[in-house]
Amino acid sequence: MQASRGKKRAVKPNRTILGRTLVLMTVCGIVAFIVLALQLFKIQILEHDHYESLAVGQQTRESAVTAERGAIYDRNGKVLAMSAPVDTVFISPHEIQIYKEDVQLIARTLSEVLGVDKNDILEKAKDTDSWYKVISKKVESDKADKIRSFINDNGLLGVHLEGDTKRYYPYSNLACHIIGFVGEDNYGLEGLEFLYNEELTGKNGRTIRLENGAGTDMLFKDFQNYYDAEDGSNLTLTIDVSIQSYIEKHLEEAVANYDLQNGAACIVMDPKTCEVLGLASLGEFDLNNYLDVSDEVKAQLAELEKTDEDEYDEKLAEARLRQWRDKAVSDTYEPGSVFKTITLAAALDSGAVTTADTFYCEGSMEVPGRDTLMCWASYGHGTQTLAEAAQNSCNVAFTNIGITMGAETFWDYIGAFGFFEKTGIDLTGEADSLWWSKDVFCDSYNLSSLAAASWGETFTITPIQMVTAMSAVCNGGYLMKPYVVKSISDAEGNVVKVNEPEVIRQVISGETSRTVNKILESVVSEGTGKNAYVAGYGIAGKTGTSTNTVLEAMGGQSYILSFCGYAPADDPQVIVLVLLDSPGSGTDVYPSGGNMAAPVVGSIITDVLDYMGYEPRYTSEELEMIDVKVPNVAGMSVEDATDVLNHDGFSVRIIGEGSSISDQLPAAHSKIAPGSEILLYTESNAPDKLTTVPDLSGMSYSTAQERLEAVGLFIESSSGATDTSTVVSTQSSEPGSSVPYGSVIKVTLIDSSIQGHY
Amino acid sequence: MEDNTFTEYTDGRNLQQSRLKDYGNKGRSRTAARRGRIDLPFCVLTIVILAIGVIMVLSASFARSYYTTGDPVYYFARQMIFAVSGVALMLIVSRIKVSTFRRFAFPLLAVSILLLAAVPFIGVSEGDVTRWISLGFTTFQPSEITKLAEVLAFAAMICTYKDKMKTFRYGVLPFAVIVAVIVGLLYMEPHLSAAVIIFAIAVLMMFAGGTKMGWFALLGGVVLVLGLLTLTKFGYASDRIAAWRHPEDDPMNKGFQILQSLYAIGSGGLTGLGLGQGRQKYLYLPAEHNDYIFAVVCEELGFIGAMLILVLFALLIIRGFWIALHANDRYGSLVATGLTGLLAIQVFLNIAVVTNLIPCTGISLPFFSYGGTALWIQLVEMGVILSISREIPVSKEEET
Repeated sequence: MQASRGKKRAVKPNRTILGRTLVLMTVCGIVAFIVLALQLFKIQILEHDHYESLAVGQQTRESAVTAERGAIYDRNGKVLAMSAPVDTVFISPHEIQIYKEDVQLIARTLSEVLGVDKNDILEKAKDTDSWYKVISKKVESDKADKIRSFINDNGLLGVHLEGDTKRYYPYSNLACHIIGFVGEDNYGLEGLEFLYNEELTGKNGRTIRLENGAGTDMLFKDFQNYYDAEDGSNLTLTIDVSIQSYIEKHLEEAVANYDLQNGAACIVMDPKTCEVLGLASLGEFDLNNYLDVSDEVKAQLAELEKTDEDEYDEKLAEARLRQWRDKAVSDTYEPGSVFKTITLAAALDSGAVTTADTFYCEGSMEVPGRDTLMCWASYGHGTQTLAEAAQNSCNVAFTNIGITMGAETFWDYIGAFGFFEKTGIDLTGEADSLWWSKDVFCDSYNLSSLAAASWGETFTITPIQMVTAMSAVCNGGYLMKPYVVKSISDAEGNVVKVNEPEVIRQVISGETSRTVNKILESVVSEGTGKNAYVAGYGIAGKTGTSTNTVLEAMGGQSYILSFCGYAPADDPQVIVLVLLDSPGSGTDVYPSGGNMAAPVVGSIITDVLDYMGYEPRYTSEELEMIDVKVPNVAGMSVEDATDVLNHDGFSVRIIGEGSSISDQLPAAHSKIAPGSEILLYTESNAPDKLTTVPDLSGMSYSTAQERLEAVGLFIESSSGATDTSTVVSTQSSEPGSSVPYGSVIKVTLIDSSIQGHY
Repeated sequence: MEDNTFTEYTDGRNLQQSRLKDYGNKGRSRTAARRGRIDLPFCVLTIVILAIGVIMVLSASFARSYYTTGDPVYYFARQMIFAVSGVALMLIVSRIKVSTFRRFAFPLLAVSILLLAAVPFIGVSEGDVTRWISLGFTTFQPSEITKLAEVLAFAAMICTYKDKMKTFRYGVLPFAVIVAVIVGLLYMEPHLSAAVIIFAIAVLMMFAGGTKMGWFALLGGVVLVLGLLTLTKFGYASDRIAAWRHPEDDPMNKGFQILQSLYAIGSGGLTGLGLGQGRQKYLYLPAEHNDYIFAVVCEELGFIGAMLILVLFALLIIRGFWIALHANDRYGSLVATGLTGLLAIQVFLNIAVVTNLIPCTGISLPFFSYGGTALWIQLVEMGVILSISREIPVSKEEET
């Protein structure tokens, strides 16, 4: 026992082994685990957020649910801009590679359906590190469906579709400068699309789903978070599509008739609220293809494209910027004689002049600080009443009115009419006006700027400023803030914001306003604005002819012809400003606001008032002159038909021996000149033949009527033959063109007896 | 008791007789008590850790199992079979007398070295490496057996050399030669991590066995210098080192595995996503049910769960050393030290790799990582420790 104990002690682990084993136990059982615990603490606790976000980032696939961009409506709810779902087609070269999908088949099919170059697709597919290579954007549903079934048929995991929306503008170029457009990312770039981008965009939603390392769903599919998209708000504009199209039609005609080199602009507003009913600047562009330039520009640049690509790109970019520029708010001009209205209103309101005052014009006058001032009519207007001075647009008389009023007073009125600041209209790119300093303007030793200002020269303003101030003149004296967005409604159609008319200040008294309205009505009915006259509508207005200072500075010589008119003068419902920039040499009409812009304004006002349901009020004298609608007499007996037509003032010519009317020329409901001869057919229908339109320009109304009737055509004129001094300026069908026998030719008559830049 | 201690130094014949006597005494309760019971804490800890490990195999593997085989419990079912049979194996081994292990130590080492040598010729390849030998129904790594054989053999050598361990000739050279042969064979496969473990076990055993401290100081110096040289001079020339220091620089290739592991561990946070709720196992984290299973543990059970498992491992290891300290004889003590050390080294290296504490290498986590034969061998090793625990004198057990 003793021995064995000794032996046992000998084989027991000795002191060294015991000590070292204790060391190992401490190192392996405690120290090592403390090290690991610290490392875990660092990763799991200290760096938890970092790794969690990285992990979640790869485990979740977030797809955006695109909020639908709000629509833009005209004042009657017609759609001007809307969004529709489209798809972006992209491939994931990485997935194509790992799932060993047939790249050639994919490239061939995508190329066929989407019209993309097959080699481009193959090139993109080579980047096998990428999960996202866009093949085509804004793919419409028919093509997207083809791609979808291609993916399903072949069980592809490397070809994907992604929802997007595309903006459509149903009216193409109508009101293009107002509406503006969006870029590829659906972000507004111009116009209201830009200005109201935030409201229109809404808020994108998202779906978040868990995905495994192979890119497909994790096993528990119920994990999916969905955040609703908040669709964008809709804009309802003050613009009326019908009015807008009248404007654009008339402006396009003016551009063609007068060969305008530099476009045209027109603003139509309700003068009482300054709601913009229509606003157009020519040339226009198609909102659906806003990068496309006009054919003319393309033709101009065709040569350059072949020779100098850089310069071509530069010129193309310039042309695009030019076509996107909204002349009516972004360009400034010298308003010319239209501004005499402001001088007149200020002078009357301040009491500097009264309607009883008279003014003498001998064709020129001396003004301290400048050369001899010449009236546009160098022969002199003689002694004129205040109304006659306005009718004559007499520079000498208005210089005197300005001097009588005094520079300080005039300056204050100009400011009060809002010419020193932007109108604040909710459109993009409104320009600043440019004026002398007040010190120069009010220099008592140098009246040159005061004199020039009294007839609207040597300063520049925007068309929208001019028409806003003119509204204040005619609406009883209230300067309003013009606007184009009437209301904003949310995606469900609930109106969330309404823009009310906003009075900035009263500038002149109601009485002054009424007085000016009467004077300006006489300008149209008797004076230099007579080419805007349309019987029954009570149009008032003022002409303006000024030099295009921009083109003049570049050494050219060209004019901006304008007319601002409103009607009816005793209770204005609509105000129209038309600017025609730089008429070409190809027209034989003398270039002045009265000759060129006034008739356009007359036509627009009558179209707009007719559309608004305004009943023209004719004087008995006018009643004899206006065009008459032809009644339908087909089927009546010859005697009855003759009675009916005679009652309307027409004469008749019966063709054939029958007893009842089988056909008539012109067709029923056409409007033609009073007293025209109606052709009644009793045995056959009207001959189905063509006739050639004669050239009527320069003819008086009655001569033109005779010429047309001689070839079996009828005449119509919106302004009627009230004045014998008018001659035909434009006609609805080109001279020499063929039209059906019995057609009605509409002519514009102008009085071009007064030649001058008034 | 005295009989048992005597057998230590009797010749083979006496040993045979005493064993026969043991068998003969089997029915008698007194003799059974003398042989002693297995160490219950060690056994329970092993089974608890194994149970958690098997559950984690189910959680970690079902996604990939489903995607690749269509059967979500494929890996789990196999692991379950190996675990149950492994526990039986452990209990069987625990009944074998320690002296038997010593007797078969060198034959086992010889066989394992032969198997290692055969691997390049008859082995099964996976990718660029050849480490496995097929048994038909499963495969196994001879390197796993080599580790066990190394511990058994080195312990025997230390017992034989005793005081001569302080000399270079006995205390260093024989061990170095055996390690060199094994590492050389592993280099052929190649199998760096196994080589590292073989080397570490040798150092650990020699340390416990009484080799002079000077040699360890020298070794430590050499390792330090080599390590610093690698890091400073060639550091970033090596992909492995680069991926270790800055895995985020190459997230799709070299850094992928470790980054995915860190994502899993980090996103677990304090409390984890919940058992079975992990997401990184959905084909992101490679080797999620074997080498990187601990990342899934951290992700699902959080810092708290990971700590719990670390504590369980620590307790098991401390208990293993406790058995070594209380072992009845030097051989048992050294074997217990070696096998517990082997367990500790594998646990430490695995978790250190998974948490990017050290550069990436393929080391499985004992009782957790999927792999049938490895699990068997680990449980056999536990059985050996339990067998040693049986021979702890009762009185001694009571003392503590």
